[in-house]
Amino acid sequence: MTIKRINFLQELLEFMGLGGRLHLEWISSAEAQKFVQVVKEFTEKIRHLGPNPLRGFTLNNLTLDVGAAAGTAAKTACPEPKETVAQN
Amino acid sequence: MKNKIKEWLKSGQIDIFLGYKTLQGHPLPHAFGKDNLEDIDTLITGSNYYPLEKIATKLVAEKPDIKIGMITQDHSQRALNVLYIWNQLDPENIKPLKGDGCSSNLKEHADDSHREAGKSGQFKKQFGMNTHASIEEAEIFAQQERFQRWMYEFQKCIKCYGCRNICPVCFCKQCSLEHSNLIGTGSLPPEAPIYHLVRAVHMAGRCIDCGLCEEACPADIPLRLLYRKVNAIVTELFDYETGSRLDQSPFSIIGESITLKLKPIAAA
Repeated sequence: MTIKRINFLQELLEFMGLGGRLHLEWISSAEAQKFVQVVKEFTEKIRHLGPNPLRGFTLNNLTLDVGAAAGTAAKTACPEPKETVAQN
Repeated sequence: MKNKIKEWLKSGQIDIFLGYKTLQGHPLPHAFGKDNLEDIDTLITGSNYYPLEKIATKLVAEKPDIKIGMITQDHSQRALNVLYIWNQLDPENIKPLKGDGCSSNLKEHADDSHREAGKSGQFKKQFGMNTHASIEEAEIFAQQERFQRWMYEFQKCIKCYGCRNICPVCFCKQCSLEHSNLIGTGSLPPEAPIYHLVRAVHMAGRCIDCGLCEEACPADIPLRLLYRKVNAIVTELFDYETGSRLDQSPFSIIGESITLKLKPIAAA
């Protein structure tokens, strides 16, 4: 049941765009090596993903970031995306 | 239909009937009682939808034995099922009367036309989440962009609690959304995305996809899309379709059901 619940959360976070930042593992107190391995791997993964986007998140940088992130998609949707941002 | 309701009220099969009535030009929920049977002639049917189930829940909380008849639509049956499961209503005391209209995507034949959400404008489509997007369409974007788009939607929230207040299956006396240790108070927009995700998680195995939250939302946040996804995950992981059956939500089960039996103690 725990696996399923965590799976649920992982998928929800993935849908929100915060995927890959939650991990579940069973490690016995006798499995020091496994613990080291899991922590190492997960640390690597998180480092690769970069810092938590929620840290230092403000509304002001949102619109700009959205503009940057929307990038190419925005160009096709609207001829002048920058103008739209400025209006906001 | 009206005669049937009158009959039910007269014979005491129900104490009160929840339906809709036009008041000052607006179709509004109304409780018809047995004292004023002529009143029932003003009952209107159609695609109006308010959470009558929630009203019933509140009535039952005051008077546990009250027998309630109500006009139902497709999703209200699911709402009732959820409320039965969570012991908020007793199926013995509820007499549903099938009205018309349905708005859910959970059912194939559902007629969605009359309760379609408003069109998403250019800006929203470009930087936020299109209200009409399907789950697949919302998943096209890469992780970072998805995050930005959802955050754009969530930061519009004015914390009016409208989504919770209108929700037919929200009945908790203490709500996590108001718990100051879980969600910070005193700032607008509320702590995003935690405020919305807490509600999303609580909708798992509960949301019956009636769409009222989205309709009520003054900030036009595509809540229905979010909760639809949440319940798609529940169906995928737990094989549980919310509201369609009368078994417990998978989240109220602590572990897998026990298959082993206790061993008898061996004689010494």
